[in-house]
Amino acid sequence: MNISKKIQGLILLFLATITLGCGGNEKESSNRLKVVTTTGMLGDAVRNIVGDSAEVVSLMGPGVDPHLYKATQGDLTQLNRADLIIYNGLFLEGKMGDVFSRLQRTKPIVAAAENLDSTFLLSGDAIGKAIDPHVWFDVSLWRQVVLHLGEVLAEQSPELAEYFQDNAKQYAEQLVALDEEVATAIATIPEGQRVLITAHDAFGYFGNRYQIEVEGLQGISTLSEPGIRDVTELVDLITERKIKAVFVETSVSDKSIQAVVTGCRERGHEVSIGGSLFSDAMGAEDTPEGTYPGMVRSNVRIIVDALH
Amino acid sequence: MEAFWIILTGTLVATSCGLLGNYLILRRMAMMGDAISHAVLPGIVLAFFLTGTRDTIAMLIGAGLLGVLTTFIIDFLHKRGKLQADASIGVTFTSLFAIGIILISAFAGQVDLDQDCVLYGEIAYVPIDLWISNGGTILGPRAIWISGGVLILVLLLISLGYKELYLTTFDPSYAGVVGISVGLWQALLMGAVSMTTVASFESVGAILVVAFLIAPPATAYLLTTRFRTMLWLTVGIAFLTSTGGYVLAVAIDGSIAGAMATIAGILFAIAFVFGPEGGLMSRRKKQATLEESTVSAA
Repeated sequence: MNISKKIQGLILLFLATITLGCGGNEKESSNRLKVVTTTGMLGDAVRNIVGDSAEVVSLMGPGVDPHLYKATQGDLTQLNRADLIIYNGLFLEGKMGDVFSRLQRTKPIVAAAENLDSTFLLSGDAIGKAIDPHVWFDVSLWRQVVLHLGEVLAEQSPELAEYFQDNAKQYAEQLVALDEEVATAIATIPEGQRVLITAHDAFGYFGNRYQIEVEGLQGISTLSEPGIRDVTELVDLITERKIKAVFVETSVSDKSIQAVVTGCRERGHEVSIGGSLFSDAMGAEDTPEGTYPGMVRSNVRIIVDALH
Repeated sequence: MEAFWIILTGTLVATSCGLLGNYLILRRMAMMGDAISHAVLPGIVLAFFLTGTRDTIAMLIGAGLLGVLTTFIIDFLHKRGKLQADASIGVTFTSLFAIGIILISAFAGQVDLDQDCVLYGEIAYVPIDLWISNGGTILGPRAIWISGGVLILVLLLISLGYKELYLTTFDPSYAGVVGISVGLWQALLMGAVSMTTVASFESVGAILVVAFLIAPPATAYLLTTRFRTMLWLTVGIAFLTSTGGYVLAVAIDGSIAGAMATIAGILFAIAFVFGPEGGLMSRRKKQATLEESTVSAA
């Protein structure tokens, strides 16, 4: 078979070229610590801790849904070059988290949210309890994550340990203030109106911490579609309690929440769309919402304004 | 090394899928891969209910069992129910997928449970998803071992059962006459298809598997009329697709799986236009010579 021989030879030749060609590219030398994080929130926390002393890259940019994120070749290079990889964990990153938990044996990798004491974590009430990974909306929990990251980074580069720890503590103090600020702002909403209705269940920790009822239309996964009964039940709740606004999210489609608004209108109750909340990703870089505190403040402002 | 591992994984998966795909397209069952990618959902959900975890092993077993079940239901509807192959595939996978959706929305609304989250891998992670022995020795990327093992099994099936698979594909009634069990070989082939697709989903993700199952054999089909050559061509195309796809992905810094599937499509388009057997150009030429000869005869 002549053609088969030719193909065999071609394949061998190609494999040889690739193997030989790939030996030489070693990572460029740089003394700065290189940290790669998955979500922007983690990147923001690390940036506040390390200042200019390290290079920080977040793989998931503004508006990216972590459940649907797909890595590119560039991302892979970033991961390979990283001295430390920080991811959220608790299945926020899906299969990617799975890969990280195995890679942990060869590279320093930290699942930031998995270090939290399990008593703080919320889980669903259906069969097979899965833990809600959206921990960053409880600012007091996020403060714990930041302090833990401070320790991890200090371990990673001992010569800067003190600097990192100090920064982490300073930032943690800002977060204490932010936590109080959020609590006070939410408390100004009349109690009966304190219901936060969004497209998917990302605000469980937020509601738990700041005593605002949270109703999500979808499950935790952004892929599951809301059922007809989910929509009807939500419409019942809104018209019954005369809730003024529902919210959409920047990284999730607002189609299903529109159905709720229309449903309420048909029952004669006007509910507005209160605005767009940041849920799984922060705002664009170089805007106030591009940082963690800015993102939390923006959410709180939108919620308070709409429900008042 | 990164490039090497990714291209090698792509080639291994594309070869396993492509070789089996040759039989599938000739049996008019090319959409089998797409069907299995959807139909495994209830398997994943049930595996989660039984084990309470979303570990890869449990998910793979659940998905694997459903994959086999899917191929058997499709085969049953086609052979016993006298339903067309494409209709059998369509009915089976949509129903199974729907059962999965219902199970999730009824019992697991609070869990992020879908193929994308718990089963489908991503070829970009191949170089960093290493298999490390308990002693701490790094044995290379996990996907290489999985897709390599799958390819060996596929090659064994095809080389040991070459004649049987060939006859049952092209002329099942004659195969029956000469004493080859059509049902048995059909079952073996379908078992191999479901094993290959589910294991490959876990290594490289669904889009690539569906593309590799159809595009390389379809391209080879346009280039030759000999079955043995078609199989060999598929291997060559698998390799070209994987290499070209990786180069494209690096050039545009995009999804590797997407780039490989694109190259598979481009190679098919080239064969479609320029192929010596089924290509547009050759067909036109043949027609021209035919017309000429009719004219000269008259």
